[in-house]
Amino acid sequence: MSSLDENNLSPSSEYQENLDILRQTYFFSGLPLESLKVFAYLCTRGKFKKGDALFRQGEDDDGAFCLISGKTQLERTVDSKTFLVRGFGPGEFIGGLSLLGETRRLYTLLALEETICLVLSREKFSKTIQQFPGQMPRIFKAVVSAINRWEERFLAEMPGECDGCLPRLGVSLL
Amino acid sequence: MAKAMQPIVKRSLFSWVFDGNLKWQLLLLAIIGVFVFSRVLPLEMQKRIVNQAISLRKVDLLLTYCGYYLAAVLLSSACKYLISVLETLISQQALARMRTALFEHIISLPLSFFRNTQPGTVVNTIVNELAVPSNFVGSAMSTPVSNILTLLAFAGYLLWLNPLLAVVSLSAYPAAMVLLPLLQRRANAANKQRVDLSRTFSGRIAESIDGIHEIHGNGAYRIEANKFNRLVEALRKVRVVWSLYRFAVKSTNNLFTSLGPFLVFLLGGYLTIKGQLELGSLVAFLSAQEKLYDPWRDLIEFYQVFQDGKVTYERTMEFFDVEPEVAILPEGRGPLELEASLEVKNLSFITDSGIRLLDDVNLSLHAGEHLALVGFSGSGKSTLALCIGQLNKYSEGHVWIGNQEVSQLTRQDVVANVGMVAQSPFIFEGSIAENLLYACEAVADETRSGKGLPSLDDIIAVLHHTGIFADVLRFGLNTLLTPDRHQELVKAIIRVRRKFQEKYGERLSDYVEFFDENAYLSYSSVAENLTFGTADRPEFANRNLTRNDYFMKFLGDEDLLPLLINIGVKLARQTVDILGNLPPDNVFFEQSPMSAEELPAYRLVLEQLRRRKTQELAPDDYLRLLDLALRFTPGIHKMVGLGEDLQKLLLEKRARFHADISRDLPEAFTFYSNHEYIYSQTILNNIFFGKTKTATPQAQELITQSIIQLLIERDLLETIVEIGMHYNVGSKGDKLSGGQRQKLAIARVFLKEPRLLIMDEATSALDNKSQTRIQNLLETRWKRKSTLVAVVHRLDTIRNFDRVAVMKAGKIIEMGGYEELIARKGALYELVGRK
Repeated sequence: MSSLDENNLSPSSEYQENLDILRQTYFFSGLPLESLKVFAYLCTRGKFKKGDALFRQGEDDDGAFCLISGKTQLERTVDSKTFLVRGFGPGEFIGGLSLLGETRRLYTLLALEETICLVLSREKFSKTIQQFPGQMPRIFKAVVSAINRWEERFLAEMPGECDGCLPRLGVSLL
Repeated sequence: MAKAMQPIVKRSLFSWVFDGNLKWQLLLLAIIGVFVFSRVLPLEMQKRIVNQAISLRKVDLLLTYCGYYLAAVLLSSACKYLISVLETLISQQALARMRTALFEHIISLPLSFFRNTQPGTVVNTIVNELAVPSNFVGSAMSTPVSNILTLLAFAGYLLWLNPLLAVVSLSAYPAAMVLLPLLQRRANAANKQRVDLSRTFSGRIAESIDGIHEIHGNGAYRIEANKFNRLVEALRKVRVVWSLYRFAVKSTNNLFTSLGPFLVFLLGGYLTIKGQLELGSLVAFLSAQEKLYDPWRDLIEFYQVFQDGKVTYERTMEFFDVEPEVAILPEGRGPLELEASLEVKNLSFITDSGIRLLDDVNLSLHAGEHLALVGFSGSGKSTLALCIGQLNKYSEGHVWIGNQEVSQLTRQDVVANVGMVAQSPFIFEGSIAENLLYACEAVADETRSGKGLPSLDDIIAVLHHTGIFADVLRFGLNTLLTPDRHQELVKAIIRVRRKFQEKYGERLSDYVEFFDENAYLSYSSVAENLTFGTADRPEFANRNLTRNDYFMKFLGDEDLLPLLINIGVKLARQTVDILGNLPPDNVFFEQSPMSAEELPAYRLVLEQLRRRKTQELAPDDYLRLLDLALRFTPGIHKMVGLGEDLQKLLLEKRARFHADISRDLPEAFTFYSNHEYIYSQTILNNIFFGKTKTATPQAQELITQSIIQLLIERDLLETIVEIGMHYNVGSKGDKLSGGQRQKLAIARVFLKEPRLLIMDEATSALDNKSQTRIQNLLETRWKRKSTLVAVVHRLDTIRNFDRVAVMKAGKIIEMGGYEELIARKGALYELVGRK
């Protein structure tokens, strides 16, 4: 028998890593293990080189991303002028809403360096959640409280002089 | 044959007995005649053997009568067998006809029927329930005729022997005929109660299991058990009553049939003692009495089959007795050629529950005009589109296509002129080509119009137009070629490979794992990594390796078996754990080393492993695990990792295997070489001389573009697309993405070139580029040529439609040209602004 024993044969699998990552996202963390396992299994890894777009403004959104490593930058282009919106880094989950329904990307997300992320397409998500119909309410709950949290934080941190912001507030009232 | 058949749901069960089976039934009748004779003859022989041969001590008579007896028994067995054969033929024929007729009827029923009918109900009816009445049909004539004739013949014979004795001994049967149905009726009633109660019972159990958390949480074991006990008790009582009646039927029947011999002994014995009856006749009497039991029992059983068959048949037919809303085929003429103008007047559509989904809709389109229907979901756009396409039967008002009222047209008239792309189009199991030609073939088939099917050039043009060309090309590239059929193509592909390496090798190296003799390939299976070649003998093909002695000996000699089995166990555990309860959809299984069909077998192997060690498994189970390990492709099957040490070890073993097999069986393998085609790999992998690593859309796009370039240069593009059209799309098209299914559905309708085109959010699953492409196509190729009614949910595509109708709550609230409506600043302006 060779020197390879049980332990050498058990390197951590991508599936296990995915499972750990999903459990740390607001979107999936409330789900029971039986469905979480399927999502972790169905996720694929996307590797983007510097300058590649994870998605582009105006494209149909097709799924969600969870950044594992690398650095990205969110941009919006209006009348051929591009504004930098914000950055996203490892651990951040992007595009949960696009799993729930079809919209169009309002922003472009660019990789600033080699970036690796988990990708879950809407088709995989919806076929899986159909198998666990009782779990959709948990996801809705998570999304609703995430939207509320977002606006609460925005209100708390909103600069006083941002008068133009006021009429636009109230996304949590949708 | 020309006379129109009654719809199946109106036919009686008895109509199946002789219809189309007349010859067989007559033959059956003839055989039954012989059969009855051969059953009675032994009785007479018995009598003669006792009365003549034995009492006169004549051996030659004994032999003669015994000979007749034997012949009669043989004849009767042969007849019985023939009768069963014919019964089976008749009942299977009836079953096949019932199934075909019912299926044809069911698929012609209106869509509204299926909103309230589960697919499971239809499946169960056609697969299971029809078997019961068809069983009855098989024996409907033969069983009663043969058994009643036998009974009559026996009775007649007995009467002839001794009328008094016969009347007394047969008197039991009429009494039974009155009593038994009474008992049976009670048994049936109890049975019905049992069925109902069982249903409640199952519901109760299901509810307890669903609410198990609550039961545990509250410690409510007693409460649940008590609820359950009450039902158990009720069910117990009903079952006892039901069983008692059933036994009563059986016992009464037995009693009557056993009373016969008793009476014969009593009266017959007395008559024989008094010398009024011969001993032989008494023997014949007794044996006839006994034989009466068989046909009698058969008749009682037949009665049961008849009852079951009748009830099942009638219930089934009542369920499906729905009138199709329109006639399917025109009578006495071909389908009409309609002019493509459209006129809708005062159209309303009211649901069964009285909700007005469409309310007094009016619109008119000239032939060739394009109309966009817009509005919020639920405003009635799709309902209107379905009414125009005859799929919804409207309640009030009119729809005219080319001056013909749509509700009066046959389905075939509409199909020949109108093409529809549904919101979520359905793609059937089969190849891309079959699905593409689905609409054209349906028209050609039903109308026998002789309008030929589209040519390959037409098809390829439509693939281009609808943007599914690249997808089909990819399917083609993922095909395995066979040496016997594709020799020329193979040579060309080797040339493409060279060109690819020159031109794109560097640029695509991030996305492709090239075949490299000195590297472990994460995107190839363990077996491919070990052999690193194509088997030239079938027994060395990957799927046969676990049954190949040479390969197994190699694994054993190199101590690889325990390691591989270990991998197999882990893969099986994880896969069954993750996918164990999921349906066999391609989405779930494309990243799995085992198919949905194999999963149950692996579950059983894992069950075994709870009780025993791997070495103690049955050989089949052991090989199953080994097979799984050999398929393991770490780049795809992510549920288990493959450590670097093991990769290094497998790489060493590759070299060893290479050396061994080159020495022992040099003709068994061709090792991967840059100059040779690899038949075990897809066309794409052959061009790459490697495998794709990533599936991100960006990478795929880049790969596809470069490959298309190369294929165009070599004039191979159409050849590969043609191969791709044979790709099997899987059950319900589950191997295609939502966008691909939609493009295929659009292509299918475009190929048919209908005069009136109805598109119900037909591009909703498409990306921007494909959507724009289809929109341009409609404007350039279809405007003025075909009339279009499009339900649109994205307002940026409606600018160039001739007319736009805005719908709200079942009404058209605004209609006109796009610019005109925007200028009016009404509902459309609002909608567009909102977006």
